[in-house]
Parts: sequence; structure tokens; C-alpha cells
Amino acid sequence: MTWRLATRLLVVLVLFGVLARLPVGFDVGFRFDAALAVIWAFSLLSLVLLTGYVGQISLCQATFAGVGAYGAGMMVATFHADYVVAIAVGVCAAFALGVLVGLPALRLHGITLAIVTLGIALVFDRYVFQDHIFEWFTGGSGGWRVDGARMFGLRMDSTTHLLQAYFVLLALFLLVALLMVNLHNSGAGRRFRAIRDSELAAATMGVNLTRYKLLAFGMSAAIAGLGGSFYPLVAGTVSPQPFWLFTSLQLAAIAVLMGVRYVPAAALGGVFLSFVPDILTRYGHGMFLHRIPYDISYDWFSIALGVLLVAQMILLPDGVWGDMRHRALHTWSAIRAVRTKRVSLA
Amino acid sequence: MDAFAAYTIIGLSLGGVFSLAALGIVLIYRTTGVLNFAHGAMGMFSTFVAWQFFYGISHPFWPTWLSTAVAVVAGLVFAALLGLFLEFAVFRFVRTRAPVVKAVITIGILLALQSTASLIWKNNQYHLPIYIVPQNWVKTVAGVPIGANYIVIFIVSLGLAFGLAAFLKYTSFGRSMRAVSDSPTSASLWGVPVGRVSAVSWMLGSVIAAVAGILITPFINFDTTSLTLLIIDALAAALIGGMVSLPLTMAGGFALGLLETYPTIWIQSIGFPRLIALLVILAVLILRNPRGLTVAAER
Repeated sequence: MTWRLATRLLVVLVLFGVLARLPVGFDVGFRFDAALAVIWAFSLLSLVLLTGYVGQISLCQATFAGVGAYGAGMMVATFHADYVVAIAVGVCAAFALGVLVGLPALRLHGITLAIVTLGIALVFDRYVFQDHIFEWFTGGSGGWRVDGARMFGLRMDSTTHLLQAYFVLLALFLLVALLMVNLHNSGAGRRFRAIRDSELAAATMGVNLTRYKLLAFGMSAAIAGLGGSFYPLVAGTVSPQPFWLFTSLQLAAIAVLMGVRYVPAAALGGVFLSFVPDILTRYGHGMFLHRIPYDISYDWFSIALGVLLVAQMILLPDGVWGDMRHRALHTWSAIRAVRTKRVSLA
Repeated sequence: MDAFAAYTIIGLSLGGVFSLAALGIVLIYRTTGVLNFAHGAMGMFSTFVAWQFFYGISHPFWPTWLSTAVAVVAGLVFAALLGLFLEFAVFRFVRTRAPVVKAVITIGILLALQSTASLIWKNNQYHLPIYIVPQNWVKTVAGVPIGANYIVIFIVSLGLAFGLAAFLKYTSFGRSMRAVSDSPTSASLWGVPVGRVSAVSWMLGSVIAAVAGILITPFINFDTTSLTLLIIDALAAALIGGMVSLPLTMAGGFALGLLETYPTIWIQSIGFPRLIALLVILAVLILRNPRGLTVAAER
């Protein structure tokens, strides 16, 4: 074990300790938000892999999460399976869909891929998740109800044991995030980044484009599906609304806004997407200076997100986290330069 | 005439709206290099402005045609201003950036416009449509009511397409627009005002999107999302035209309208037409290499 890996493990353990303790003090609403934040952080992490590492655009990550959610919900509601089995089925379904979506991506890139994935998100939003032909998968218009779900015999349902589900989610997220950080400089990660920089050059250097693009899409969909398959557990039900087209667009916008190349940005984005709308709807109404009434709803969050994305694309191309990182590194090297200068003067 | 002919008329008018929306996308894409995912949202917003005027000022005292005319003019003026605003506030600053960056920016615009509309006019709520010609001009053919609105859509879309083609071909400003779409750099070296050209194409594209939005309101579930989601059908039509050719885009729009209408004879499903649009997109993208997309990528 190298020092670098040991440091990363230590950071992950400390983060788990801190983040697992945080929502204990929250009320039910914010506990739900905390669990939801991790679920969306999974979806954003899948975008970090697909867009940040491999350079493929996808506007259908919420669809992958939705397939994971519906797969898990179906297993629990129809087959009364243990939740671990449900998660495995959800992740496998998402992986399979990811590889399917990756097939056209073998010939497409950039904007054309964005168009295709937008179409896929729309088809799943309006057709698969809502049409009666797919009732066996989506549980009809009411969706699936998941009560009394068990994982390894432990009770983990949304009403009474939400925090247990949150702990499992958080541990899994930190594990996947650690794997993603380590992937960056591994052999597969270097091949991924070679594809991002130039597909032609990567193919010339002997990277199997077919295998690695399909693998990237499958892995990315599986990560999003892993988060999504916890959704029935956390929310108690599955419905098409959280996984519709505009969530996919919001996910893409937030991933880019926070910095699509950096793993921590995914966690930041998940917290942003889950907490900010709830805080706005909870505290965003009242009287300004006891005079002017105001009411900030969910829509204001989405408006702000759109405007922030446009501003960020013009001003900070590397995203919020990327920009903060650059500034921190710059400051650090400046401090070191000052120090060495002092030493040489003395 | 039987049901088939009736569905053909419906499909052609739906296709007319698709091709109008697609024309705006192709126009903006060729002259500014921006693939506008927010095109549907821009059309939606202008349509709702027109709707607000129509039901805000309509009064028994006024004749209906007058309030319709005022509403349409207001919607189109707003659309032009919106296009102009986007060009001057956003896209002027990213002219040299990669096409993907510009496309992502349009996603931000889509989100902002969509949520603003849902804030003002409430999401998922039925709105009374705008009828360009009176609603009761209807002839029932084989059990399917065919309104005069269908015919109006067909005529307006064909007329606008030919008008646009003539504008691009015969006027000197149209010639500058074609020059910029071939190569912005060499056009600017020849003294073509590239900034003014892209401002005009944003205005034109936005106005065309508004026309498409206003025309389609009687035939869809008229709320803030469904007009925004028109983008995928419009993109499919634009891709059939390879993002360059206006006649092919028109033909693609009409073909897609028919393709999406005929299955509704047998399949009663809201989402099924979207699947057809996706299949058309996939078929076009995989079978042929869209020339316009590669041209913009090499810029």
C-alpha cells in the first residue's frame, strides 16, 4: 500500500465518520434530503466518469437511475426479494441499458451523442416509465410501494429506519468515489482519458475503442443505477417524476457547474441538488422587512441553476470545484515561494 | 376520403410544425455554430407571452380576430427580443468556444426559461389554446374532425420555408448569412458583419420557433413542458436535413409528422411518437454522417 492510497483511505474514513454523524441531528425532512443527496451524488459521479474521464456527453443519467430504481422496486414489490438482490437487479438493469446506449455512441460523439441521449431520456420519461405496456416493470401509474424492506435481515424502510439506509448509501458512495479517484491514474483510467483527449490518437496507441467506450457507458449507468436502486428504500415509493427528462438535464447542468472532472464535485452537486430546493421551499417565504411578501419556490432553484450554468460556462470553464482547486493550488505554491525566498534571504 | 386521408392531413400539419421548429434550429446552427437545445423552450415562452396577451386583452367588446392579431404580434416581437437578448447577453461571449460548450449553455437556457414559465404560468396545468382561425371551422372526415387550423399550419409552414429560402438566396443580407454559415472567418475577412448576421439569425430562429409554438397549441396538451419537449422532434427533422439543407429539413419534418401520426390509428399512447422520433434520429445518425455537424466541428 502506497502512502497516497493510505492517505486517501484515511480521508474516506474520516469523511464517513463526519458525514454519517451529521444527519442524526436533522429532522425527518432533512434526513430524507441527506439520503437523496447521496443518491443524486451517485448520478453525478456517473457523469464524472462518463463526461469528465471519457469525454462522452450524456443527457440521460436520471434515466439510468430510474431504471435502477424501478428494477429494485419491482424485485421487492413483486418477488419480495431481499434488498441486496433488488439492488443487484437494479444495477444490472442499468448496466445493460448503459451498454445499449453505448452502442450508438461508438459511432457518435459530442453534440450528436447529446441529441441521442436526450431522445433516450425523453422516450423513457414519456413512454417506458408511463405507458401501460411496461406495467410489469413500473408498477402502473401508482408505481411500486416498498414497505418493510430488509437488507441482510436488517429492517431498512423509509419511515422508521431511514438513517440505516443512509449509512449504507454513504459507505457505498465513499467506496465508489475512492475507486473513481484511484481509477484516474490506473491503466483503464489512462485509456479512458486518452479517449477523451482524442479518440483517433487513442485508437492509434492501441486502445480498444469499442470495449472501453461500452465499458464506460456500462459502468457509468451502473453507478447511477446503484444510487437509483436505493431510491425506493429511501422514498418508500417509485414514481416517474424524479427521473424525468428535466432531472437528467439538471444533473448534466449541475455536474458541469460543479466541475465535471472532479470526484468531490459530485458530492457537492448532490448536496446542492437535494438540499437547496428543500431549504428554499421551507424557509423561502415570508415578509421582506415585514412589508413585502415573497415566496421562493422550487422553480427559483431551477432558474438559478440555468443562469449559474450559463455564467459558469463563460467565466469559470472548469466548474466551481475546479476553480476552487486551482485557486488553492495557486495560493499554496505562492506561499511556498515566499517561504523559500525568506530562507534564502536569511 | 377515409380515416387514412384524415390522418394524413393531421400528420402533415404536425409535420409542418416540426419542420418550422427544425428550420429555426438549422438556421441558428449554421450561422452561429450553436446547436440550440433551448429552441423548444424559446418557442414555448413566446407562445405563452402570446397566450397571456390573447386571454388578457380579449374582451367581448373587441372582435376575436383583433385580439388574436395583437397576441400573435406581441408573441413574435417578444420572440425577436428574446433571440436578440440571448445573442448579446450570452452567445457573443462564447463565439470561439467548442460547439459542445455552446450546446451545454443552451441547456442552461432551457432550464431557466422552462422554470420561469412554470413559475409564471404554473406547470402541468391545462391552458386554453390560441386559435388562429375560429375553432368551429371544422369538417368531420370519416369520424375525425379536420379543423381549418390544420390547413393554416400546413400553408404557413410551407410559406415560411419558401420565404426563408428566398430571403437567403436573393437578398444581400441572406447572402451574408450564407457566407457566414460556410465560414465565419473568411466571411469576416470579406467584410461581412458577422455579429449582425448572428444577431439576425437568433431573432429569425426565435420568431420561427414562436410561430411553430403558437400554431401547434390547439393540437397538443398545451402546458409548459410539452412545447419544450418539441425539441426532440425538431432535432430529428433537422438531422434528416443533415443540419444544412432547408428543403431536406422540411421534407424530414413532414415525413416525421406522418410517421408519428399513422401509428396513433392503432396505438393509443402519449409516449409512442417519441420512440419513433428517437428511432429516426438513431437511423439518420448511424446510417449517414451529417455533413453540417462535421463542418461545425472543424471550425
